[in-house]
Amino acid sequence: MRRAGWIALAVVVAVSLAIGARPGTDRRTPAQRVAAIEADLRCPSCEGLSVADSSAPAAVAIRGIVTQQVAAGRSDAQVERFLASRYGDAILLRPPTSGIGAVVWLVPVVAVAGALVGLGGLFWRRRRLAAPGAPSVEDRRLVEDALAGRTVAPDQGGPGATPVTARAPHAGEGPC
Amino acid sequence: MSTVVGSPAPVAGPGAPGRARRRARWIALAVGVVAAGLVVLLATRPSAGSTEAASPLLGKPAPAVAGTTVTGAPLSLSSYRGRWVLLDFFASWCPPCQQEQPELVTFAWRHRGPSGVAVVGVAYDDSSAQAAAFLRSTGATWPALADPGDRIAVDYGVRGPPEAFLVAPDGIVVAHLVGPVTDAQLEQLLARAQAAAP
Repeated sequence: MRRAGWIALAVVVAVSLAIGARPGTDRRTPAQRVAAIEADLRCPSCEGLSVADSSAPAAVAIRGIVTQQVAAGRSDAQVERFLASRYGDAILLRPPTSGIGAVVWLVPVVAVAGALVGLGGLFWRRRRLAAPGAPSVEDRRLVEDALAGRTVAPDQGGPGATPVTARAPHAGEGPC
Repeated sequence: MSTVVGSPAPVAGPGAPGRARRRARWIALAVGVVAAGLVVLLATRPSAGSTEAASPLLGKPAPAVAGTTVTGAPLSLSSYRGRWVLLDFFASWCPPCQQEQPELVTFAWRHRGPSGVAVVGVAYDDSSAQAAAFLRSTGATWPALADPGDRIAVDYGVRGPPEAFLVAPDGIVVAHLVGPVTDAQLEQLLARAQAAAP
């Protein structure tokens, strides 16, 4: 019953992610698209500024090209690919999802997956250790020995004799 | 008070403080001389020259370039097919461009002629009038394209002038230079490119 709940939760999460990641219809205006592309491009002649934020001649020129290409009907990816083919991938503020740039995207996913697997393994191990398992042969022998020690032989005490336990007292145990 | 038992501590001689002070003075003097030398060296050496830089265009066909020169004549890069071309992005307002201009003039003069290396300028973020005046004043006789909106510059991935591209006779980009070039550098680069050309 509990497992079914977890499975249902996993299915809901997977379906939600699939729906969320589905490419939907782009309802942005050309100006919004231009602004979004410019914000994703690094100004090639300045430090730490996007093309959108810079007034350097190179950034101004790139803004002109982006506007021109969006007006010509090219997709965001096509515009970014064109600029990367001229300036290199360094112009992209978001690393590409292919080639060496994919490592940047893959590492967090692998790290999270590894952490989840590790946590799962840890919980499973703890649960297994905590669960009462079937007694081993050794356990049985110990119990039998202990029970045998409780039985006092008639020639060693007779009725009223103090029961003897099989366990030897630990060091430090005893009357204070 | 406790007494330290063991080997006695070295006792400084009567001249020891004076010797130490003299040594410190010499060390300070040596450090000062080295620092002053570095300052003089850095202040008087010429600014960093051109360096060959990476470009996604290397080994690929040069993007098509066509337009109007700063003097109003039509010009197309394809008309230079079969010749080595040095495509130079410059600006009249750029000091490193002013620095490299005499070197470019020397290089272009040596390679003049219909089969020599063609130098073609592209005015970067500059007005046609100012770019033309700059070329005229420096004795440059090569054509230079006007580049309104720096479209050609973006097509070549130019970050800022001066930058130059060496294009082989088959139209392939073989070198990308960033910073002011010298005549000797260009000669060396050309010789290497010509030796490597098929």
